[in-house]
Amino acid sequence: MDKDILIEYLPLYKDALFLTLKIGWQGIFLAFLIGLIGSAILHFKVRVLKSIVGVYIEIFRNTPLLVQLFFIYFALPKVGIQITAESCGVLGLGLLGGAYMIETFRSGVEAIPVIQTESAASLGMNQFQILWYVILPQAISISVPGLLANVIFLLKETSVFSTISLMDLMFTAKDLIGMYAKTIECLFLLVVFYLIMLLPISIIGAVVERRMRYGQFGD
Amino acid sequence: MKKNFLSKVTGLALVGTLAVSGLTACGSSASSSDVASTGEDAVEASSEAAGFRTLDEIKESGTINIGVFSDKSPFGFVDENGEYAGYDVYFAERIGQDLGVEINYVSTEAANRIEYLQTGKVDIILANFTVTEERAQEVDFALPYMNVALGVVSPDSAVVESLDDIGADDQIIVISGTTAETYLTKNYPDIKLQKYDAYAEAKTAFENGNGVAWANDNTEVIAFSLENEGYTVGIPSLGDQDTIAPAVTKGNETLLNWLNEEIETLGAENFFHAVYEATLLDTYGADYEDTLVLEGGK
Repeated sequence: MDKDILIEYLPLYKDALFLTLKIGWQGIFLAFLIGLIGSAILHFKVRVLKSIVGVYIEIFRNTPLLVQLFFIYFALPKVGIQITAESCGVLGLGLLGGAYMIETFRSGVEAIPVIQTESAASLGMNQFQILWYVILPQAISISVPGLLANVIFLLKETSVFSTISLMDLMFTAKDLIGMYAKTIECLFLLVVFYLIMLLPISIIGAVVERRMRYGQFGD
Repeated sequence: MKKNFLSKVTGLALVGTLAVSGLTACGSSASSSDVASTGEDAVEASSEAAGFRTLDEIKESGTINIGVFSDKSPFGFVDENGEYAGYDVYFAERIGQDLGVEINYVSTEAANRIEYLQTGKVDIILANFTVTEERAQEVDFALPYMNVALGVVSPDSAVVESLDDIGADDQIIVISGTTAETYLTKNYPDIKLQKYDAYAEAKTAFENGNGVAWANDNTEVIAFSLENEGYTVGIPSLGDQDTIAPAVTKGNETLLNWLNEEIETLGAENFFHAVYEATLLDTYGADYEDTLVLEGGK
């Protein structure tokens, strides 16, 4: 492995990392919002919307991100909807992640025994108060491991962005290999940069998980 | 509890180091292990170490793996019957016939042509591979069989006639791993490139108006403008005149020599003119025949 080549390519990988993080976090934020709203709709069993959320989850959980990106980026312009590659990446990631986030939040909410809702209601709390003061604090702490797994999953999914011309880590590596054929150096940097991006999240995740669990009994 | 957390962190770090060291180990042995997985029949141990199959080994196995494009009409593409067709494929068919072996076509993309040779996934690349200095360091090129330069196509409404006209925010579409990409990166570093990793995607993106122009081999962009209404090749020739040649894995001399002889022999019967007439005439007309065709490697 050639050290000079590693140093020469470093800035390109750095740019790619920032692009991946930028799109990644925007997409994850969007996914989070969709997750909260969607799971609230499912929790309150809002008519019509409930079915829409159900269909949405099935569609996006059962198609690959690659297919979704293809559709948004290549098919929508044919009917006059032009979206930039970056927004397309955020949208794709957000919609895919949203479907998973809804399910994760829902599992957290469903883990709270019904008796707590009933008790809260008998104390005179309204629906919103029950959700905000009783269910959510517990549900979120239960969902944390699942949510973190989703975050890491979504950041890894960004590796298919190359199809829509976004120079993410994967594409940068493939592109450099295509131009200069320094395969080992390029792939080495690729793994290192994915680790730089994801290891801290795993480590912070372990800490956060611990902290959130303080809210629960018997730990 | 603290101890627990620490052990988690060290555990993660360990996994990380393992992954990295695993990769480097993989890298150095990739050429040999991949051959073993590609060879349909038993590949002899001697060539496994070298990462390619010699002429005799190919003949013995009865099958040759040839890397071609599957989406680059009229050079290498899959026709309406699901068969590979085009200028490159026509030549590949002849190679198979003269070697007396079956052909196993492997669909490649521009960016992985060198990889496929280096890892022994294919014996020959016949995917409109332009000869360049950088590439010649990684693979061995046989005698050329076609001429090529770069070209730039743009919509009729805003024809790009000079690369100096490209605005600061305008993007040119290129395909990753092509000579157009390398040329523009080297000579016009300020022009923003929008890169795609496959031909079909670049084409769709260009049709959708995602870039002001599309730079590629001029054969490509001329074909595109002839086949699609509303596009003009504003820059028909850019950079140096280059050639296209078959490529084999670096050091595979037996196969390389055979290919060179084959191309010279075929020159005597004006083979590539016949190929042009069979595959390219519909697209380019007779005018381009002498510009594009290279007979007998000269």
